[in-house]
Amino acid sequence: MSKLNATDIQGFVLRGYNMPFARFCFLHFEDAESARKLVGALLSSITTGQLWDQGKPQSTLNIAFTFKGLVKLDLPLATLISFPVEFQEGMKSRSGILGDSGVNAPEHWDAVWRDETGASEVHAWLAVHALSAEALDARATDLFTLVEKIGGVRVLDTQDAASIVLDGNVTTKEHFGYTDGFGNPDYLGIVRKSQPGQGKLMPDGTWVPLATGELLLGYADEAGELPIAPMPHLLGANGTFMVYRKLHQNVGTFRRFLDEWSARYGAGDAAAKEKLASKFIGRWRDGTPIEISPNTPDSAITQDPNRSTNFTYGSDTGGARCPVGAHIRRVHPRDAFGFQGRLINRRRITRRGLPYGPYAASDDNSPDMDSVERGVVFMALNASISRQFEFVQQQWINYGNDAHVGNEKDPLIGNHMPGERFVIQGDTNPSNPPFVCAHLPNFVELRGGDYFFLPSMTALGMIAMNLVDPR
Amino acid sequence: MPNQNGSVYGLTLLCPIINDHRASPSHDLQIRAYLATLPTGPDSPFAIAPHTHLARLVVMDDVVFVGAPAREEHLKSKYLVFEANIDCPPHAIGTTGLDTYLAGLAMAAPQQLDAIWSHCTGYPGTANLQAFLHYMKACQIETTFFFAATNDKSVTQTLKALQTQRAVADFIATHQGKDPAELQRDFLAFSQKLIAAPTPKPAVPAPQRPMQTGGRNE
Repeated sequence: MSKLNATDIQGFVLRGYNMPFARFCFLHFEDAESARKLVGALLSSITTGQLWDQGKPQSTLNIAFTFKGLVKLDLPLATLISFPVEFQEGMKSRSGILGDSGVNAPEHWDAVWRDETGASEVHAWLAVHALSAEALDARATDLFTLVEKIGGVRVLDTQDAASIVLDGNVTTKEHFGYTDGFGNPDYLGIVRKSQPGQGKLMPDGTWVPLATGELLLGYADEAGELPIAPMPHLLGANGTFMVYRKLHQNVGTFRRFLDEWSARYGAGDAAAKEKLASKFIGRWRDGTPIEISPNTPDSAITQDPNRSTNFTYGSDTGGARCPVGAHIRRVHPRDAFGFQGRLINRRRITRRGLPYGPYAASDDNSPDMDSVERGVVFMALNASISRQFEFVQQQWINYGNDAHVGNEKDPLIGNHMPGERFVIQGDTNPSNPPFVCAHLPNFVELRGGDYFFLPSMTALGMIAMNLVDPR
Repeated sequence: MPNQNGSVYGLTLLCPIINDHRASPSHDLQIRAYLATLPTGPDSPFAIAPHTHLARLVVMDDVVFVGAPAREEHLKSKYLVFEANIDCPPHAIGTTGLDTYLAGLAMAAPQQLDAIWSHCTGYPGTANLQAFLHYMKACQIETTFFFAATNDKSVTQTLKALQTQRAVADFIATHQGKDPAELQRDFLAFSQKLIAAPTPKPAVPAPQRPMQTGGRNE
């Protein structure tokens, strides 16, 4: 396997920037010529995967397009129809498959995602990540000045996101208080500090990187095939697909649920609340996997890259430690479905994301806590949206058959209908009782998003110069 | 043993469809048209007749060669394919098991069966039960590799198990944390009620899931 050309791959694909500030800008192209001019003007400032020998830059810039954006860019029809069907359809059209119904249905999404006329549909995503709020504003201002100067491109909306700061420290927490960002997969050829538990499980119990083609187009995937990619090859190679979902978090509902149900699950004190919270996700709120440390959080584990993601469920098939329906066991079942994890390796996604909105202090008792704009901007990268993200969302988040829990959904991010439950298997230890959480509310609501194509630098050049030729 | 997987029996029939140039529409089209209207829920003939886990009817026009170089191949006839997973414990095979099942079908849904199979060559009709059984068994194909849609439980056991699972889950959800004496009293009453409850009917659709399923994702 050859070394990847990091200078040709957008940096956002190869690494999480770990920058505390971000602004996602959604653009509408009025005409192909202006759009191409903008892509050309941005080309030299797009952040690539090249290593930062001089330390992190103050800010980064990345770009991706919806299918409608590529249509507006006048890509040849033979190229357009070679994109995977789910990308051509876009996330709104796929809501039936994804289970984005009820409160998560497109009619409840933010206005920017609801355009019906085509006059303001989202064509491109421009992402600025920055080390400081000043650097973010400066970069965004430069960007908007450029957009204005070129003309023919409108900024429809922007979405700010930022790491949650607690007691003056930048954290990786999200609004429910869980520490996030463990366990993105490793891929062959991608230079990254890898750790056990992040790639694929081998028969001898070790972990090795996944095939490059699970993330990047143009390389063999876990089946030894090239993922479906647009023609010509050069347009797709070193690119990937991104799923962008704005997930609103009902923090008030979540906290009230924990208060109410921890009184039945245990004594209703902080210990019972934390234990119940840990069973939802499969990690204590500090990130300690309950599969390794079922009784208490342990920072020695979360701080140790050789342990924080290094576990399997083989000795806990009954879910006594980590419930079989817990979030992390659903979305990355490791060895839980047998066959040494091989059913899992084609369903992995790389997640990028940041919280948005103000963190609710622990003593915040305002009755309308749910209606405050806050949540997480969830972005998933994968070579095949239908085989990877959509499968995980449909079968593992919004269904429980593979996990042998029937129609049960992911307790935290599932799209719950009235009366739905989450079973905590537990055991005979009185401190770890079997328990059923009933009447799950929707803790998380979808507020919009779409499917994007994140091209390589070469492909961006081809698009800018109108040189995409499918022949 | 062919056709058998535990107590589940895989019944596969291949019945040649009448090839009559004067028939308009042709017999295969008439089967298709009828099958398209056949109920698939509790009114399905296979739900009314006992012991069917899953049944599938397919009109097989011809074979399509997949590969290169392309080759034109044809079947001698068009066929009606019937595949079913039925309850037929191993000890009943070769004696009365299959006969009992087919006779149950003929008695429960004679009109539908005749409407479908009367388009097949040599079909005698359900009115003559012995001839019907002989015909169906003559069309059977022995197979060791069939689609097994069930575990090793009968239709009745499966329906009862699902009913029990739902009821117990509901009971637990509404009774967890209750005082032991009250819990025991309620459980005894609950279990008696459950034991006495009639077995649910087959093919009753599950509550609608607001999820579009099927296709490549499953």
